[in-house]
Amino acid sequence: MSAPQTNGNRGAANRPLVICEEVSKFYGEVLGVNRVTLAIPPGITSLVGPNGSGKTTLMNLLTGLIHPDRGSIRVRDISPREPERMMRLTGYATQFDAAPRWATGFQFVATSLELFGLPRAEAESKAWKALERVSLTDAAHRKVAGYSKGMRQRVRLAQAIAHEPDVLVLDEPLNGLDPLVRAETIAMFREWGAQGRHVILSSHVLQEVDVISDQVILIANGMIVAEGEIRGVRDEISEHPSQYIIRCRDASRIASLLFNEDHITEIKLNDDRLGMLVMTRSREDFSRALGRIALDGHVIDGVIPADENVDALYEYLIGGGR
Amino acid sequence: MTTQFRMRQAWAIARIEMRRAFFSRRALWVYLLALFPAVIFIGHGIAMTYRHNRWAGQGMTTAAALDSINPRDTAEEVLKKAGKPISDRDWRRRKLMNEEETEKGGRIRRYEMVEGRMMMYYDGRRRVNLFFENGVLTEKNIRDEMNFDQDRQAYAGVFQYFYLRLAIFFGCLGIFMNLFRGEMLDKTLHYWFLAPARRDVLLAGKYLAGLTASTVIFTGGAALSFAGMLWPHESTAVAAYWSGPGMGHLFWYLASAALACVGYGSVFLAAGLLLRNPIIPAAILLLWEGINGFLPDLLQKLSVLYYVQSLCPVPAPTDPSMPPLLLTLLSPASPAAKEWAVLGVLAVTLLVLWAAAGAVRRIEINYSTE
Ligand SMILES: Nc1ncnc2c1ncn2[C@@H]1O[C@H](COP(=O)(O)OP(=O)(O)OP(=O)(O)O)[C@@H](O)[C@H]1O
Ligand SMILES: [Mg+2]
Repeated sequence: MSAPQTNGNRGAANRPLVICEEVSKFYGEVLGVNRVTLAIPPGITSLVGPNGSGKTTLMNLLTGLIHPDRGSIRVRDISPREPERMMRLTGYATQFDAAPRWATGFQFVATSLELFGLPRAEAESKAWKALERVSLTDAAHRKVAGYSKGMRQRVRLAQAIAHEPDVLVLDEPLNGLDPLVRAETIAMFREWGAQGRHVILSSHVLQEVDVISDQVILIANGMIVAEGEIRGVRDEISEHPSQYIIRCRDASRIASLLFNEDHITEIKLNDDRLGMLVMTRSREDFSRALGRIALDGHVIDGVIPADENVDALYEYLIGGGR
Repeated sequence: MTTQFRMRQAWAIARIEMRRAFFSRRALWVYLLALFPAVIFIGHGIAMTYRHNRWAGQGMTTAAALDSINPRDTAEEVLKKAGKPISDRDWRRRKLMNEEETEKGGRIRRYEMVEGRMMMYYDGRRRVNLFFENGVLTEKNIRDEMNFDQDRQAYAGVFQYFYLRLAIFFGCLGIFMNLFRGEMLDKTLHYWFLAPARRDVLLAGKYLAGLTASTVIFTGGAALSFAGMLWPHESTAVAAYWSGPGMGHLFWYLASAALACVGYGSVFLAAGLLLRNPIIPAAILLLWEGINGFLPDLLQKLSVLYYVQSLCPVPAPTDPSMPPLLLTLLSPASPAAKEWAVLGVLAVTLLVLWAAAGAVRRIEINYSTE
């Protein structure tokens, strides 16, 4: 593996970045991503969020397959609108599960390398190396159309890494891989990340990627919920305040009881005194406290999560995506 | 990145795309369109040669002898002038002479028995059927079997009315719209967008692939049908045509077929980028080209058909009995000079490709709504 090219200095302040500034993308009325601002340093970065949260949209934006309605993107100081320059140092394994009908795995990878201006022999040797990396040499001369799902996944990965890009974007790359290949693939990501390349991958299961990632970006409903090194993000999730609406007869009394709990950060009483909005840092402590209050004989008519989205995300991620 | 690198890249893209352009399952019917006239002319030639051989084997008559046969000649006179016919049949039939109404409202029809006879002669070019009634010639029916002039006229007509207006038009629609739209349907377009190539280089490569395929297919089809039109004719007549205007005619037919591919190709490539449904651009363009004769001068110049029709070496035959509206539709108002016509097609093409380059830069991968 040759040393990756980097833009100028390797000093911490001058590391090459993948930058999004206030990026928004709408599909007609449907929100894709909204006001995303990111500065992704080299290393392994995982984009985590449930289905439909905007992971693919963000990756397509980064690679110029779609263009932002607002905001700007720079990948190592190159705009995705300049594919001639940018795609030399970027590889993208998409979620689109299609390959040209005519191609064998080997032809598929070798052909895409020819567009880099490589002589055929060199393109073929590089293609072969990439297929070796994803353990697909046995099936290399079969038609991609006849591959299994996991093999198609791997051939797309081979196509993305064949030109040894500095920025590797991978949409759910671990999906459908068997444990052995998965371990090999993860080892490769680690190696590439350690070489100072960008490895940006997506997953909808935090547990799948948190041990291998240098950074995690949590995304929900097209918005970045949390971002940073994995420890920070964990704390941020578990401390993310949740909001609840409580319906009850004696709101002032219950509010004063809740105020004694130190996980409660804010309480807003309704004017009708029949309900309140509560902010808590800990769901568990909050539900325990509610249980105690109810046991003491106070009537609580209902508890409704107020910010369902973030709450659901919390549940989802901590619950392991089940 | 140098221009040279980009050109090589465009050519690499074209080579890869050739497969799609030539052999796409969605566009196999293009070959039917391209080969249709060839099949017609060759079929016509085979039938003609077959009849020629059969009739010539049974004895040919001289043209002069056939010309000397006059109406009201008797069968004996004809046999004396022209010799033994190729076929000679006779029959008897009742012929209605008159019809009267009776007082009671009934009808009375009078018939007469007639001795009918038909003789067929062949002079190597014309087949002459002679009909006799009671031994007297009543009808002389002449059909040209091998008429070189007529066949060349037919070729000119087929070329302009069918080949340029329909075959190449719809063939280019099939080939060129498939280049981008086909990949959107297959969900493979993004692989091109992920290559380190400018979008306009991609456009150029794809256009080149479509152009190569359509030009090979349609000039090939035109040349084949031209050959099919020539071969049954006497070799001396064909040789004379070749050493005269023939070579030039063939050249301009092929040139106008190729330029039609250049022009229509660019239009449909652009349409494939902008629109999902191929019917709409086809209908609009067909209408545009159709009413071209009625458009003001400047707009006429924005038509592919106007130019490529001006390049055709032989004016297409028009039947003066056609309704005048149809006549105007079919014939170009005032043909452009050849060099202007070539430049005109190229200018229209560049204009369209320039617009397409703008579109391809803005296009996004969005398979879900296909
Ligand atoms: N081509 C499109 N047309 C319309 N809406 C779209 C399109 N692509 C995505 N969306 C919408 O944008 C939002 C984000 O979708 P996106 O595909 O980015 O999610 P994702 O995080 O990749 O989901 P998944 O985990 O299922 O891959 C969703 O609401 C989706 O419905
Ligand atoms: Mg996705």
